[in-house]
Amino acid sequence: MNIMTNDKGGSGVKRARTGGSNSLGANAEIGRKLKQYYDGLVSEDVPDRFAELLSQLENAEATQKKD
Amino acid sequence: MAVAAGFKNDLLAAIPSLRAFAMSLSQNADKADDLVQETLVKAWDKHESFQMGTNLKAWLFTILRNEFYSQMRKRGREVQDSDGIMTARLAVHPSQHGVLDLEDFRAALEKLPDDQREAVILIGASGFSYEEAAEICGCAVGTIKSRVSRARSRLQDMLQIAGEDDFGPDAIAAQVMGSTAA
Repeated sequence: MNIMTNDKGGSGVKRARTGGSNSLGANAEIGRKLKQYYDGLVSEDVPDRFAELLSQLENAEATQKKD
Repeated sequence: MAVAAGFKNDLLAAIPSLRAFAMSLSQNADKADDLVQETLVKAWDKHESFQMGTNLKAWLFTILRNEFYSQMRKRGREVQDSDGIMTARLAVHPSQHGVLDLEDFRAALEKLPDDQREAVILIGASGFSYEEAAEICGCAVGTIKSRVSRARSRLQDMLQIAGEDDFGPDAIAAQVMGSTAA
């Protein structure tokens, strides 16, 4: 804030702007990449073994109940 | 008590997220799928301890995370201490206009300490709140916040992300000047 009012040459303004856009821009890019990385994993095809496993667990329980 | 109807479908629906989280933690597809399998079996066995109406995804993530760390301990691998690790800079080319290659990003993420990686994934990608992430990791909200912030700055450091003004000696000089003036 003081830079804006005190600095007549303009270099201070440039420093402030550079610092601000840096950290914000970098964080935004990291956020985007994080989502891209994770969404790629989420949208992978799920192997059949998991649905089969759950069906086995379900069947095992049904058998237990009959006993 | 019988497993409630619908529970199986809820588990099925959660599998893609569980696999993504398991991959983020273990960085290995085979280990990740083993973790998911173990998580599903445990969730089925413990279904009575799940309170209907609460966040099933958070409950499952907690089980998976516990399984991950208990497997690591069994293998004798030290649980990483984030403060004890030096983050090496990756040999990546500073990208133009701050756009990163996904492979470079993946490699940098892999180099993060486990606790920082899981925190930044839970908050930045899985869509959990800081409170939920703290519950999943069994730690304080403030701990999650600081891990996320350290993870972000380490990623920036490793990937040497900088705004377009930052390339070249002029920018370095400007930063030095900036820091002494501040």
